[in-house]
Amino acid sequence: MRFWRVIEPYIGFLLQGFALTVVACLLAIAGAVLLGALTASMRSSGNGLVRGIANAYGDVFRNVPFLVQLFFFFYGLPELGIYIGALETGIIAMSIAGGAFVSDVILSGILTVDAGVIDAAKVSGLSRFKIFTRIVLPIAMRVSVRPMGSVLINLVLTSSILSTITVNELTGAAKIVAATTFKPFEVYAVLLVLYASLTTLLSFAISAVHHRLNRFMTGG
Amino acid sequence: MIVAENVEKRFRDVEVLKRVNLRVEPGEVVTILGASGSGKSTLIRCINGLETLSGGKITVDGHDVSTKAGLVAARRASATVFQLFNLYPHMTALQNITLAPVEVLKLPKTDAEARARALLDRVGLSAQADAYPQQLSGGQRQRVGICRALAMQPRYLLLDEVTSALDPEMTGDVLRILAALAAEGTTMVFVTHEIEFARHISSRIVFLEQGELIVDLPTAKFFAEDGGLAVPRIRQFLSKMKKD
Amino acid sequence: MRYADFTPYDIILLLQGLGVTLALFVGTTLIGLFLGLLLAIVHHYRIPGCRPVIVVVTEALKNSPVLVQLFLVFFGIPAFLHIRMTPVEAATLTISLNTAAFAFVVFRSGIESIDRDQIEAAKVFGLGRSQILRLVIAPQAAAFAVGPLVGILVNQLQVTSLISVIGVFDLTKIGNILNLRTLQPFIVWAVIGLIYYLAAKALAHAGGRIEAALRKSVKWGGI
Repeated sequence: MRFWRVIEPYIGFLLQGFALTVVACLLAIAGAVLLGALTASMRSSGNGLVRGIANAYGDVFRNVPFLVQLFFFFYGLPELGIYIGALETGIIAMSIAGGAFVSDVILSGILTVDAGVIDAAKVSGLSRFKIFTRIVLPIAMRVSVRPMGSVLINLVLTSSILSTITVNELTGAAKIVAATTFKPFEVYAVLLVLYASLTTLLSFAISAVHHRLNRFMTGG
Repeated sequence: MIVAENVEKRFRDVEVLKRVNLRVEPGEVVTILGASGSGKSTLIRCINGLETLSGGKITVDGHDVSTKAGLVAARRASATVFQLFNLYPHMTALQNITLAPVEVLKLPKTDAEARARALLDRVGLSAQADAYPQQLSGGQRQRVGICRALAMQPRYLLLDEVTSALDPEMTGDVLRILAALAAEGTTMVFVTHEIEFARHISSRIVFLEQGELIVDLPTAKFFAEDGGLAVPRIRQFLSKMKKD
Repeated sequence: MRYADFTPYDIILLLQGLGVTLALFVGTTLIGLFLGLLLAIVHHYRIPGCRPVIVVVTEALKNSPVLVQLFLVFFGIPAFLHIRMTPVEAATLTISLNTAAFAFVVFRSGIESIDRDQIEAAKVFGLGRSQILRLVIAPQAAAFAVGPLVGILVNQLQVTSLISVIGVFDLTKIGNILNLRTLQPFIVWAVIGLIYYLAAKALAHAGGRIEAALRKSVKWGGI
C-alpha cells in the first residue's frame, strides 16, 4: 500500500498530533458544556438584560467564522497583556464557540421538562438550585444527547483549524508530514479518512449513549 | 391546621377563587367537590404555594405561605399527590421516593431507602422499587406518587384528583390505600370526582361553585335532604355525577 | 502618518476581500446546489453502482474537516496528478463539493417525499404524474427544502473563511494583512467579524423571505 508506506515512519508523530486533538476536544467540550449550561440558564432567566446578553453571545458566535474568532483571540489576547499558549487559546476559542451551540441544545432540553414534574419537586421542598441540578438538568441532558453529539462532532472537525495558529494537533502534524515527505496527496487522503472514521465512530457512540440513557424515558 | 381566609385568585381578568374560607383541623379528611373549572385544583395549588394568592391569606400550622420562610415551613408540613403523578422520569421508583427525604429532611440515604421500601411494600410495589416510571402502569405510578408524598411524613396530605387519570380497576387500588390512610387518622384535603368514596372517607365536604365556596358541611349532613341536597346546584351536580 | 496606521485605502481593501468572499460563495453555492441536485437525482434513479459511491463520498465530505479537504485538493491533487491549480480553483472545487454533499441530503429527502406524495396524490385524484409533480408537489418540496438549505448556506458562508489559509485573498486574508500591518488585532478582527455577521444575517433574512414567499405561493396555487 503506497499510502501506508508514506505514513508509516511518521505514525508516532501523527499519534502525538491525534492525542493533542483529543485533549483539545475533550477540554473544549467540557468548557462548551459549562458555558452552554450557564448561557442556557441565563436565556431562561426572567431578567431581560441577562437574557439579552446571553442571546447576543449565542447569536454573534454562531454567525462569525470560527477562524475569525480564533484570530481575534490569538492575536488579540496578547494586546490585552494576556499571554497564553496557542493550544490554550485554541481550547478557549473552541469552548466559547461551542458554548453558543450547546446553549441552544440545553435550552431546548430544558423547555421539554414537564412543568408538573417541576411542581412536584417544588412542593417537596427542594431548593431552586437542587431542582435545577437534580431534576431539570439531568432530564434536559438526556434529551440533549443527540444534538449535543453533533456539537461534539463539529468541535472535532473545527479542531483542525487550530493548525492555523501553530498548534500541531492532527492536522498540524499532518501538514508537517506532508511537507517533509513531499507526498501531500497520500497524507491528506489518509487524514481525511481518519477524521471521517473518527466522527462516524463518535456518532455511533453517541447513539449508543442516547439509547442507554433514554431506555426508560420514551415519551418523557 | 390549614386555614384559608378570604382567598382570592385571579388569572388575568378571570376570578378563579372568590373570598374562599376553609379550615382543616388535624385528623380531618376534607373533600372538595365542584364541577370542572370551579377552582378546586387551584385551591390545592394555593395551599402548597404553586400559585400565588391575589388576595387573602393561607396558613399551614401558622406558617403564612405567601412569605418565603412560611412557604418553606408549610411545604415541610404538607405533601401533594398529583393527577398526572408527576414522577421524575429519570429516576427509579425508589429514587423518586428518597430524593426529598435525603435532600430536604437530610435523612441518611440508608434510612430514606428503608422508609421508601417499607412504603412501597405497603402499597404492593416492593418488586417495582428499581423500575422507572415509564415501566409502570398508571395505577402503579400513582401509588409511587403516594409513597413519595408519604415519605416526607407530612401532617397534611393534599390530593389533587389523584384518580382522574386512572381506569376503574386502578382507581380501586389507589382508593383502598387512601381509605387505609384515612382510617389511620392522616389529615387529608381531597379534590375528587369519586362521590361515593368521598362520602365513605370524608369527615367534611365543601362545595365550590365558580370559585365560591358555597357549602361546608359534615359528610352526613352534606348528603342529607335538609342539608347539602337542599341546595339545587349540589343536587344537580350529584345527580349528574351519578349518571356519569 | 505611520506605516502601521489605518488608511482610507483599507476600506477598499476590505471591500475587495468581501467581494472575493461573496463571489466565491455565490459561485460555489450555484455549483454546489446544482451538483447536489444532480447527485440526488442519480441516487434516486438507482443507476447501478452509483448509490454507494455517492453515499460514501458525501458522508466523507460531511464528516471531515473542510480545511483537510482544502489541503487535499490544493496540495495533494496537483502533486498527485502533476497539474497546476490556483488557490481560487482549489477553493472553488472544494467548497462546491462540500456544499453539494450537504445539499444532496436535503434534495434526497425532498425527492423521497415527492415520490411518496406523488403516488398517493395520483391515486386520490387520478391526475397525470407530471401534472401533479409540476403543480402540487414540486412547489411544496421546494418550500420545505428552503429552510434547511438556508441553514446550510449560512454555514457555508462561514466556511469560506478557510480558503484564506491556502492563499485566496478573501475577507479573512485581508484581515490577516491588516492585522500584520497595523498590529491592532482587536479592531481588525472585530470589524472582519462584524462584516461576516452582517452578511450571515442578510443571507438568513433573504432566505426567510424566499421561504415565506414560496409557502404563500404554494397555498395559493394548491388544489
